Amino acid sequence: MAYLTLTDISKQFGETFAVQDFNLDVEKGEFVSFLGPSGCGKTTTLRMVAGFELPTGGQITINGADITNKAPNQRNVGMVFQAYALFPNMSVSQNIGFGLRIRKEPESAIKERVEEMIRLIHLEKHIDKYPYQLSGGQQQRVSLARALANRPQVLLLDEPLSALDAKIRVSLRSEIRAIQKTLGITAIFVTHDQEEALSISDRIVVMNEGRIEQVGTPFQIYNFPETQFVANFVGSLNTATAEIADPEQGLLHMDGVQLSTAEKLIGLQKGDKVRIAIRPERFSFASEQKKANVVDCTVENITFLGSVVRIHLLIGNTKFHMDTFNYPSLELPKIGDKTQVTCSLRAVMILGQA
Amino acid sequence: MKKNLIWSWFWIILSLLYFFVPLILTFVFSLQTLKDQFSFISYQRVFEDRGFIRSLIFSTEIGIVTIFLSLALMIPTVYWVRLKAPRIRPVIEFISLLPFVIPAIVLVFGLIRVFSGGLLPLTNTHLGTNFLLVAAYVVIGFPYLYRSIDAGMGAIDVVTLTEAAQSLGANWFTIMFRVIIPNLRAAIFSATFLTLAIVMGEFTVATFLVGLKSFGPYLWQVNQNRAYEGSALVIVSFLITWAFMGLIVLVGRGAGASDAAGPR
Ligand SMILES: Nc1ncnc2c1ncn2[C@@H]1O[C@H](COP(=O)(O)OP(=O)(O)OP(=O)(O)O)[C@@H](O)[C@H]1O
Ligand SMILES: [Mg+2]
Repeated sequence: MAYLTLTDISKQFGETFAVQDFNLDVEKGEFVSFLGPSGCGKTTTLRMVAGFELPTGGQITINGADITNKAPNQRNVGMVFQAYALFPNMSVSQNIGFGLRIRKEPESAIKERVEEMIRLIHLEKHIDKYPYQLSGGQQQRVSLARALANRPQVLLLDEPLSALDAKIRVSLRSEIRAIQKTLGITAIFVTHDQEEALSISDRIVVMNEGRIEQVGTPFQIYNFPETQFVANFVGSLNTATAEIADPEQGLLHMDGVQLSTAEKLIGLQKGDKVRIAIRPERFSFASEQKKANVVDCTVENITFLGSVVRIHLLIGNTKFHMDTFNYPSLELPKIGDKTQVTCSLRAVMILGQA
Repeated sequence: MKKNLIWSWFWIILSLLYFFVPLILTFVFSLQTLKDQFSFISYQRVFEDRGFIRSLIFSTEIGIVTIFLSLALMIPTVYWVRLKAPRIRPVIEFISLLPFVIPAIVLVFGLIRVFSGGLLPLTNTHLGTNFLLVAAYVVIGFPYLYRSIDAGMGAIDVVTLTEAAQSLGANWFTIMFRVIIPNLRAAIFSATFLTLAIVMGEFTVATFLVGLKSFGPYLWQVNQNRAYEGSALVIVSFLITWAFMGLIVLVGRGAGASDAAGPR
């Protein structure tokens, strides 16, 4: 049995289902992210694990013990909030030691543990400061240390980085991941930032409208989305409608442009219409590649996105984006140029019938 | 910019004059008991009158009981509403305004009517009457107290702090006394001060329930009968009020220093 299990969990607020048919097994020491758009039920699910909401159906267990209806202060679950939620009247060390004092651990043990935690988050210089004297990133680290000091069975983080600016967000997320790995703690991390989820998770749970769309490693989620929603939500995506020309060969027609896919077109007939998807980074300017799609296109616009250049293409009658790395020797076409781009057969994903 | 500054100063000075001129004149008048010479005789008489100290102590006691009762009622209520029933906040806010609408005279007659006989004849005993007085002051102080406590809770994220404490294993008692109340320090001090000021000066309810035993009616009576001493008493009560204020600020700082400066 997995370490943390959620079985058939549902949560209803009045008439509306915030979470439905939620099944998830998390192994000990695993780092799992909940990813999905606003209002899809990520926070609600997390709060049910924490005990702040009770499920209207289903069961939650940690280490084999049923905790579904236990009070939050009876579970040993650590929580990190988006708004830090440090106690303003307590210093950094008092905040971190709060949970240990509640357990009435001896002062010497508390002191030792607090210092250990402080070292973990590299705030040795700030141990006697008060929350209002710390930056947002420092406050969130204290909040993390406070949650970890109690040695929780599961660590829950609800968009802990959303209130921070971009640079700190990136550095703190790797810090969180490193600490989680060092301690071997089981963690659930809620985010609506796909890059965040992809970069630090062992597995990602993509959610939509209260349901799980797909559970998988970042690699699986990004490269093999199982539903149109996942394909669209994770990474950017070009989608178009195409007609099947030859199901055996994987041949497709899109406004007179010929494309091939490596995917099996099981159960589909010639003439059927399907939704296809191609990630922008899978395109490149045509060279001598064999066994690849080569298509004519017109360059409509070019935008710089930092490390990446996005080229807006018109292929047939459909607009596509193409992303290419931005290096100084890059030879870009001009707006209005007619050129050829290429993508592999595997880059053409079939999302389902149109 | 400069023009604005001049006008700011104009208004500041005008309001200071408005506040201090009557006070200074009262003070000067209180020194003139003897003809052709300034003296503190009226002050001496004020302090010699046993009614002064007695009523002062009585009202202070009533004030302190009122404060404790009000805080004990108000803090958990406001907390609970913010935590569990934020939708009924407007209702509570409306109720908190009622004491402004109901005149004190109506309140006190209502109280006497209900509690002078029947099931709870509170007005028959001193203790009962004092309790009624406290109850009335709890009602009268409700709007001020509610507002400052509610504002205090608004300044911290009560819900998230509660959840954070819960997830660390805290029970309700711990959350209340270790997390919520310490963060309401400023609000509690201002509520305390306001309540005390109200109780010390209140006249209508005190007159009908306990009469000259309490400070408000006593002050009024002295003013009626003895002009110079009345003025002296006004100055003294001002000083007392300010001393209270200073004390509260001091205590507030002290509490702040012991677990270090609170959030600002
Ligand atoms: N206490 C509540 N009462 C009623 N409805 C609620 C309550 N909490 C959440 N909901 C509803 O449940 C749904 C899921 O909300 P939830 O907060 O879990 O979303 P989320 O995925 O965390 O979104 P976000 O990314 O915006 O934080 C939403 O439609 C929300 O309106
Ligand atoms: Mg949320």
